[in-house]
Amino acid sequence: MAALTADDLAAIASRIHDQNASWIRVGMSTCGIAAGAERVYAALEDELQRQGAGVQLKKCGCLGMCAAEPLVEVNIAGMPRVIYCRVDEACARDIVRGHVCGGKLLQDYIIDMQSEDAS
Amino acid sequence: MIIATINGIPVHVAEGTTILEAARQVQVKIPTLCHHPDLPPTAACGICIVKVQGSNKMLRACCTPIEEGMNILTHDPEIVEVRRTVLELILSNHPNDCLKCGRNQSCELQNLAAAFGIREELFPKFISGIPKDDSTNAFVIDPDKCIHCGRCIEICQELQQVWALSFLGRGFSSRFAPAAGMRLVESPCVECGQCSSHCPTGAIFELDETVKVWQKLQDPDNYCVVQIAPSVRVAIGEAFGMPPGTNMTGKLYTVLRRLGFKAVFDTSFAADVTVME
Amino acid sequence: MITKTVLIKDTTPGSTSGTKEFFDVFTAALRESKLADEIRLVRAADIGVYNHGIVLKILPDNITYANVQHHDIKRIIGVTLKHGNPIKDLLYQPRAYQLRLVLKNCGRIDPESIDDYIAHDGYRALSAALQAGPDTVIREITASGLRGRGGGGFPTGLKWSMTRSTPGNEKYMICNADEGDPGAYMDRSVLEGDPHAVIEGMLIAGFAIGASQGYFYIRAEYPLAIERVQKAIDQAHAYGLVGERIFGSDFSMDLEIRLGAGAFVCGEETALIASIEGKRGTPSPRPPYPSVKGLWGKPTCINNVETLANVPSIIRNGSAWFSRIGTENSKGTKVFAVTGKVRNSGLIEVPMGTTLRDIVFEIGGGTASGKRFKAVQTGGPSGGVIPEHLLDTPVDYDNLQKLGSIMGSGGMIVMDEDDCMVDIAKFYLKFCVDESCGKCAPCRIGGYQMLNLLENISRGNATLEDLERLRLIAKAMQKASLCGLGQTAANPVLSTLRYFEDEYREHILNRRCPSKKCTALLQFIIDRSRCKKCGLCARSCPEKAITGDKEHGYTIDTARCINCGMCFETCKFGAVERN
Repeated sequence: MAALTADDLAAIASRIHDQNASWIRVGMSTCGIAAGAERVYAALEDELQRQGAGVQLKKCGCLGMCAAEPLVEVNIAGMPRVIYCRVDEACARDIVRGHVCGGKLLQDYIIDMQSEDAS
Repeated sequence: MIIATINGIPVHVAEGTTILEAARQVQVKIPTLCHHPDLPPTAACGICIVKVQGSNKMLRACCTPIEEGMNILTHDPEIVEVRRTVLELILSNHPNDCLKCGRNQSCELQNLAAAFGIREELFPKFISGIPKDDSTNAFVIDPDKCIHCGRCIEICQELQQVWALSFLGRGFSSRFAPAAGMRLVESPCVECGQCSSHCPTGAIFELDETVKVWQKLQDPDNYCVVQIAPSVRVAIGEAFGMPPGTNMTGKLYTVLRRLGFKAVFDTSFAADVTVME
Repeated sequence: MITKTVLIKDTTPGSTSGTKEFFDVFTAALRESKLADEIRLVRAADIGVYNHGIVLKILPDNITYANVQHHDIKRIIGVTLKHGNPIKDLLYQPRAYQLRLVLKNCGRIDPESIDDYIAHDGYRALSAALQAGPDTVIREITASGLRGRGGGGFPTGLKWSMTRSTPGNEKYMICNADEGDPGAYMDRSVLEGDPHAVIEGMLIAGFAIGASQGYFYIRAEYPLAIERVQKAIDQAHAYGLVGERIFGSDFSMDLEIRLGAGAFVCGEETALIASIEGKRGTPSPRPPYPSVKGLWGKPTCINNVETLANVPSIIRNGSAWFSRIGTENSKGTKVFAVTGKVRNSGLIEVPMGTTLRDIVFEIGGGTASGKRFKAVQTGGPSGGVIPEHLLDTPVDYDNLQKLGSIMGSGGMIVMDEDDCMVDIAKFYLKFCVDESCGKCAPCRIGGYQMLNLLENISRGNATLEDLERLRLIAKAMQKASLCGLGQTAANPVLSTLRYFEDEYREHILNRRCPSKKCTALLQFIIDRSRCKKCGLCARSCPEKAITGDKEHGYTIDTARCINCGMCFETCKFGAVERN
């Protein structure tokens, strides 16, 4: 394709920005993968399909809480955006059934950190 | 032109002059070990360190270009202590077999140890014990005596473009060796002799067969003849302190006869023919 | 209809059932207030607050309460959950916050999607830089006060302007991703989590110095980082953001990856250049600096991954915004890999000037074991240990140097009272001895001799003169080594000697290791009163040094014992003692 112009950046950004979409992100850096993120991703993918949930499943890098990997961040419309830690395959399926489809947050898996973004 | 001072003595030198060269111009002696005037500095040994006023770092005089206004200090208790420790460390990694060494009395490490008045060893000795390589008829390589100055490698790779020698391994087990660790006879070595003539210690030296020659000469069952290369008549003069270029042909013939050779052949005629061709 | 969510976590040290109990009490209280259908209670695994009793976080109000008591529940329901008002005396005021600048996108965007990066302001800084021109870019970076994040802390703007001002048509930009400190992986995470930010930083730097070719020097042990950077370069290429006439301007630059073969010394810039050129990775004397004579003899600028990842934000938000963060001489944030005996090992990003105590205890959560904190090592094998009484030091380049350590690339290893300082010094020195290239004598032989001395100390075969020998060699290495590896290799030894000389003396004079780590100095015996005669120890002993039977009990034959510690590990009743 032809070289991008500065205006194209804005066009791409607005195409991607869809704040209301529901999504699940799995931390897939070396730390996450070493802790089993690939299996968790596969379980989420499978369970989402089984339940027919229209939720976007995405990969992302490392949030920093490496000791608590695999981390799965869930953003479902009308629910608080939370991060689950030390997720295994069973927990991944519970996330889809309970949180995504059932509107319930999972007990004993949520992790939070004290941070803010610069800029 | 750059103006600076060394131990308070003003120096005026061309840009790009190293601190070591500048110091020599004003007769200040900075001890060196790995440095060789024929070669670019490898900066390996750390003996030539000096201080620059206003910095608590020590710089290598061999490879640091002198800068305008620098106030250089070449000797103080701290500098000498560091130099001495480095020398002691090098000696702790060097066998003490000077008496049996091919470089005895022409060894730069021996001279430096003498200059520092080293009389005992401060650190325990660790010698790697890598076997000698005497696979060629030209040199003996004794890696244990190597001080890692890198001169042989620099000259073999960069000046002669032969690449027969290189460093292998790393850290304390690094060593210089014929490329890829093969024996010298299997390496691309052309036996030019530049490595041995630049080696500061006995790590590379010419294979010495003097004892064998004596034995043959003294054996009554042997009829010994000798043939000399054209250059020897002049080179031997230098070894005996004559001015360079002095022709020693006559004296050489006589000496060889007195040593016991029954006949002396000279290659000079054949050499002349070669030149005429 | 659920309106609020309350996360609950008992952060009292050692508490195991507190969260559950409080959860049950709170649930009952909600039912009583007839709010059970409106408020969702969730037990959290970790709430990011430590040692503050029961902690509650109320969403979506984002109110955090700490040290909550059972009698506070009524107030919380009445004031906050019903009316959304905060209760001042319960509010948690964090002493330390993470501030995510470099890690902003890590874990938030898909690192394999350039579109996702662009949607998060990606490549806008590049576009702005190309319009502003190289001089403005260098001025901004200089004004921001950004310093090299690889460890040296050299001002980035100055490095760029030096490379720019060296005459030459051909210049190179190199990204140093040869991260090799034990326990440090900040650069890996940035490359894996946000590769485009580094690429954008590379392009801006290349534009500023006048380079047309850039190299990523990534160690081969980072396969995922290599894969993602390559993918990112390809995507950027397809968008015309790498290659000819970027954004339609006159600026063209190509990027390539070069793999490092895993030599720590290749993080040193002259050795790194030699490695890219295909030579043996050994340092060469500086000057000439790479900015004058670098890769292939051309002017070259080498920046660390994290340094480059800072660049787009600075260009986007301006130098004034950046220089507001941090301390007088150290601007911005720093990413640390906090590992070792810490509860939350992982990556954190904090503003420069955050104290070590806040990093270790507030963010890191203290020691994982709950045992007493002893020291923290910063700067990896080139740094030093910092003991407890200096933990209130704000972290910046100059402060850490004053303490005998360095900022380094950002590894931070927490040690508790089980760690022996002689052992720690030995560990780091061993690393440098293994990684020394062997070129210069002080580093090659000095490191080896020091390691041998430390080994003797940890075996109880040393004298007090050996401490002087250690100091003597350390000084020679610092002053006479050719590159940073050798010059700093003695730092862990010197700093442990500085703060924990007692421990060294204890090893030497009393042949005792206070942390019970140096096994050669330990003696294992079985305490008869606690022994249950199970025989597990005897079966675990590799030397068959434990004799006895289930009737009479067991004893250790100290003459045959090799001090491996297997019996100590195996015994479930604490009957094996080590002294």
